[in-house]
Amino acid sequence: MATAPVQRTNPAFYALLIALVFMSVGPVALMFINSFKLDVDIISGTSGLIFMPTIQNYETALCDILPYELDHLDFCSLKFGEAFINSLIIALISTALTLIIGCMAAYALVRFKFMGRDTASFTTLMVRMVPPAVLLVPVFGLWNNEFCIGRSTMFGEFWRDTFGGRGDLCLAGTYGGIILVYVAMNLPFVIWILQSFIVQVPRSLEEAARVDGAGPFRVFFLVVLPLIKPGLAAAAIFTFRIAWNEYLLASALSDRDTRTVPILIVNNMSEFNVEWGVIMATGMLLAIPPILFTLFASRQIITGMTAGAVKG
Amino acid sequence: MNSANRLTPYLFMAPAIVIMGIALIYPLGYMMYGSLLDWNPSQSIEEAEFVGLKNYITLWGDPNFHESLAVTLIFAFVGVSIELVLGVGLALLLDRNLRGMTLLRTMFILPMMIAPVVVGLMWRYMFHPTVGTFNRTLEALGLPTVDWLGQNALLSVIIADVWQWTPFIFILSLAALQSLPRSALEAARIDGATAWQQIIHIKLPLMMPVLIVTGLLRLIDAFKVLEVILVLTEGGPGLSTEILALRISRTATEFRELGVAAAMSNYLLILLMLLTAAMFTLSRIQEIRANRVRAAAEEDS
Amino acid sequence: MLKTLVMATASVALMAGAALADPYEEFRDTTLIVNFPAHPHYDAVMRILPEFTKETGIEVEVDQLPYLKMRERQTLELAQDEGEYDLIAYVVFSKADYVFADQLENLAKYFMNPKLADPNYDADDLIDGYVYNIGFAGGSKGYLEGKTGSLFGIPYGSETSILGYRKDIFEKHGLEVPETYAEMLELACKIPELEPGMGGVASRAASGHHASHAFLLHLNPLGGAIFDDQWNPVMNNEAGVEAANALKTLVDCGPEGATTFGFGEALGAFLNGDTAMFLDTTVVAGQIDDPSKSSVVGKVGWALHPMGVERASQTGGFGIGIPANAENKEAAFLLMQWLTSKKGDKLVAMAGGNPSRFSTHADPEVNEKFPHMATFGEALQHADPDWRPIIPVWGKINADLGTTLSKVLTEDLDVQEALDGVAERTKAVMDEAGYYTWQ
Repeated sequence: MATAPVQRTNPAFYALLIALVFMSVGPVALMFINSFKLDVDIISGTSGLIFMPTIQNYETALCDILPYELDHLDFCSLKFGEAFINSLIIALISTALTLIIGCMAAYALVRFKFMGRDTASFTTLMVRMVPPAVLLVPVFGLWNNEFCIGRSTMFGEFWRDTFGGRGDLCLAGTYGGIILVYVAMNLPFVIWILQSFIVQVPRSLEEAARVDGAGPFRVFFLVVLPLIKPGLAAAAIFTFRIAWNEYLLASALSDRDTRTVPILIVNNMSEFNVEWGVIMATGMLLAIPPILFTLFASRQIITGMTAGAVKG
Repeated sequence: MNSANRLTPYLFMAPAIVIMGIALIYPLGYMMYGSLLDWNPSQSIEEAEFVGLKNYITLWGDPNFHESLAVTLIFAFVGVSIELVLGVGLALLLDRNLRGMTLLRTMFILPMMIAPVVVGLMWRYMFHPTVGTFNRTLEALGLPTVDWLGQNALLSVIIADVWQWTPFIFILSLAALQSLPRSALEAARIDGATAWQQIIHIKLPLMMPVLIVTGLLRLIDAFKVLEVILVLTEGGPGLSTEILALRISRTATEFRELGVAAAMSNYLLILLMLLTAAMFTLSRIQEIRANRVRAAAEEDS
Repeated sequence: MLKTLVMATASVALMAGAALADPYEEFRDTTLIVNFPAHPHYDAVMRILPEFTKETGIEVEVDQLPYLKMRERQTLELAQDEGEYDLIAYVVFSKADYVFADQLENLAKYFMNPKLADPNYDADDLIDGYVYNIGFAGGSKGYLEGKTGSLFGIPYGSETSILGYRKDIFEKHGLEVPETYAEMLELACKIPELEPGMGGVASRAASGHHASHAFLLHLNPLGGAIFDDQWNPVMNNEAGVEAANALKTLVDCGPEGATTFGFGEALGAFLNGDTAMFLDTTVVAGQIDDPSKSSVVGKVGWALHPMGVERASQTGGFGIGIPANAENKEAAFLLMQWLTSKKGDKLVAMAGGNPSRFSTHADPEVNEKFPHMATFGEALQHADPDWRPIIPVWGKINADLGTTLSKVLTEDLDVQEALDGVAERTKAVMDEAGYYTWQ
């Protein structure tokens, strides 16, 4: 890319730059600081920075997986540790599945001419705009009532005998149920974004591999995939972000054992006790992966964003 | 070999098609059917009563639905407009070799990556009438405090959205700016065009296709926003921040009317479809015009 | 030698079994899954549950949710053939839905079972209004006690409305604790003048459930009602307008940001010393005395909900019942009986919960720890079991009422006009639900 000539810059620009950085990071920093304060300190708010930092909020949040008993708690109501693990399982598996399935489809759309290609391509583009709220009612109905295996069928009986639980086996309340929605929701985006990366892979490389006798799947996995790594990284981050952050569908589909972190946070904003400290601590924990991505993969994220918008 | 070849693309496509079919297309069809029913969450769909278009007609005349629709449109258009102006403005201003630009771009990503639920709770704290950051600062400065989440709830919600998404527009506009043909800009400068003239006659028209796609993406996303508002205001006070997505979810869970919620979902979908179509047309037209500008600019040089 | 020892041990064990017939024996090591709300009373319950497990050997696993979420979850669970929950806590207005859909067990068969029912349970000691409000269905109006009614749940966590006031502020300005609505409203607006920066009464007002709740709180004492005896909506009559105006006055003279207050914010304002009075549920007493949450410890006095044309405080809180699709119904009954027994009620009161028995409110030990308990007990006797209609369509009417009232509070909508609108829409809802079939 052409480098712009070095201009003599006004200090005002630096002031603006600093102000902008402060504005985007400030709220997060505020949450970070408050998560180490006791509620009394947050509410009395005598001063912003002078306080005794405490990890009590984090202890309260993680009480179900800490190996030791806490003195300030009579009982552990917040099952945050469990939810954190649920979130991880759901986000990781759905990201992996979305990527594999998505880049196969993107490859087919870019490299092959076949009947129904235009329809597939157009449909993918259109379903991208479907908001999760629109899926709420049908997914709720289907996952709870239709996508079930009767408890008295052979498989159902086997499952209940082996794994326990009660009632018909339905997708709702299982990891699989939530993962399925997330994969479906993210696929259009991933297919769209990866197309623009696959287009750039030189055909000659694939031809060469094919001449060497490699089948289409070998070519895809051994030649194409390694070349679109940056695209995959970007797509992975965006997919993970949605699966990790999503609240609405997860709250409709999860049960006691599969609740994710966002659900817990919303539940904890309940009316009787706004315990700011603990809520900020849970918020901070939920924000860890996004913060890590921001710090270590900002280049990929920006590439992904521009590819998504510019090459549309 | 040949037949295998013909099957290959379908094999590659199959998993995606199956999954999207089961978990996107079929549910959408199910929703269309469900919207014709009087259906509550304790019933399975077979037990629900068929009522035809009644849900659509009820909604059409429901003032609460109208208000919610208006709130959604205001939120989306006002929010995205502010973001566009700010984002593009900052990009034009900061399109120069500054040390620290990389840091800014990195830090600017943070708001977008963080969970909407968390964004909501951060802002709910900052907007809090007594312990919140804003009112405390105002008080410390001796200024009157503002009833953020009360009288100014919609504004507050828009502020939170602007905070979260202006960086998106900024980063994309910056990328677009930096990929503009240098020759055209160089030529304009030689012709003695002022900075303003360059922006208005060259930079903006050339960026337009990217800006339209970006704007469209943001607009579609703005209709998806739900968590931030849920945590910030739960749609209140009154219905002043109850956007459609939130109303759908409340209708389904709180009022227990799945049929009405499905009909509302359908209205939202139609609205989004119209919007997408309009923006696509617009973007086509703009692209043709931009190509003409680009060609003209390059001819000049 | 060894053999005799074994014999001896066995016989001792046998004798012990015979001597102490343990009604819980059969259910030892059962795990009950219960669904409770995230609520101060049920937090107290969490503290006493280990005691139950120690005594009976029955394990209890609690799924605690905010109560609106809890209701959503229950809607789904109770509709299944086989449900996950063995015992649920439910809010009053869920009673109508659950009983109507045949999803709650009728408790008669458990109280008739000599192996399960404790002869010393003393059901007459339970506070009448609450048993009728939360436990009964099928009697008068379909949702109260009466000759055709029967019992589906037991009140647990009984709340009523009570007036908390700052003793120090009242003393400082020589104010009288308000006895009537007129006095309270006048005082509410006088406080901000006497104590700049302080609001009069902290009240809920946020859109939806909160605003509606606050309105209902004033409606009955002022002589109003949602429906007349023929199910015609009358919330827009004179008393209704007066109640809405009372709410508006309280919010206008309330602390800053009062229009957005949910319960938590209203309580927070009082705890933080931002208001001189607090008119809401009794459940807050524990937090007001908790120095880690409250800056008004020891400064709060309690009085009965002020009189309008009558004394009628709210009946709120929760009941516990056994889902019809539960797995361990009998063990669930034992837990329910244990929790609501004299002993359980006192334990939970001592742990900071809201007792549901007359005897607990009169108990000297409880009163020593919580001096407000006697006043609360008196307030409970004025609690009106019919302070809001418990019919399946109430959720919808409630949401409309709450949204409209919030508009009155924030957008200066005319009160009469707003309530007329609610009445009209309510009429349509009721008509559709078939309440006018017999007219």
